[in-house]
Amino acid sequence: MAYSLPLLATFAEPPAPSGGAADAELVARLQQGDEAAFRTLVARFQGRVYSTAYSLLRSAEEAEDVAQEVFVEVYQTIGRFRAEAALSTWLYRLATSRALQHRRRQQARKRFAFFTSLLGFTNEVLPEPPDHSHPQALLEGAQQLQLLQLHISRLPAQQQVAFTLRHEQELSYAEIAAVLGTSVAAVESLLFRARHTLRQHLQPASHHV
Amino acid sequence: MSDSPIRPGSDEEWQELLRQLRHQPQAQPQAFFYTRVHARLSARQAASRAGLPGWVRRPAYAALLGALLLAVSGDGTALHAAPATAAAGQVPSALAR
Repeated sequence: MAYSLPLLATFAEPPAPSGGAADAELVARLQQGDEAAFRTLVARFQGRVYSTAYSLLRSAEEAEDVAQEVFVEVYQTIGRFRAEAALSTWLYRLATSRALQHRRRQQARKRFAFFTSLLGFTNEVLPEPPDHSHPQALLEGAQQLQLLQLHISRLPAQQQVAFTLRHEQELSYAEIAAVLGTSVAAVESLLFRARHTLRQHLQPASHHV
Repeated sequence: MSDSPIRPGSDEEWQELLRQLRHQPQAQPQAFFYTRVHARLSARQAASRAGLPGWVRRPAYAALLGALLLAVSGDGTALHAAPATAAAGQVPSALAR
């Protein structure tokens, strides 16, 4: 299986969370094949994994699929986890990389479906996501928050992940750096560019409202 | 979520928009999420016990594998045999003499 991000950390661990010891114990039990530990892991992290996937995909069905896949992968590869990173970091990394991978596949499928529809192989109508970016849409009542989410979804992948982890999951810069396998300075740069782009996109709306 | 129009022209307005984003109700999976994860895991383990690699279970790959097997087995031999038969066709004509 090909991974778009490294799964097992080889970098310095960010400041340990308060539940670090509990997570270490959980990992040890999981590595011994304790099914109750797996149930505990799912219960403890399902909200964070699901909401991260949902933030990147904006689809309940796709977020569910990705979240399930993340936990199956954790179960199957927990033996290789060496606790060089926090358990939550590993899960966030799996969730973001699998969500981005899922989105790339969906986009490829859409492009293929569009191509086949052009060639007349299918009469299927291709649904297009609504675009509220026109100022008129704001006059018609679309929320600024929805507009912000739309533009977040259009950011480059790394910027989108950094922005989502910072502003929706409320991770620290060090934690985001650990998830992305990069430096804190690189995270600052990603977030600066993301905010700059988003403000640029949202700014013109104020002139029309 | 507030219904008041937020215009992120100023820093205050931008911060307010980010605050709204942060304080949205967090998306949660439907109930019995663990049961569904467990079912998927069991299905995956059953499939791997059957001894087939994951890619074989995908129809497109299975069809491709079937086509490849056909190409390198009987049909390929028949295609290569045709010129040989044509060459051998000279023998009967020689015998006809």
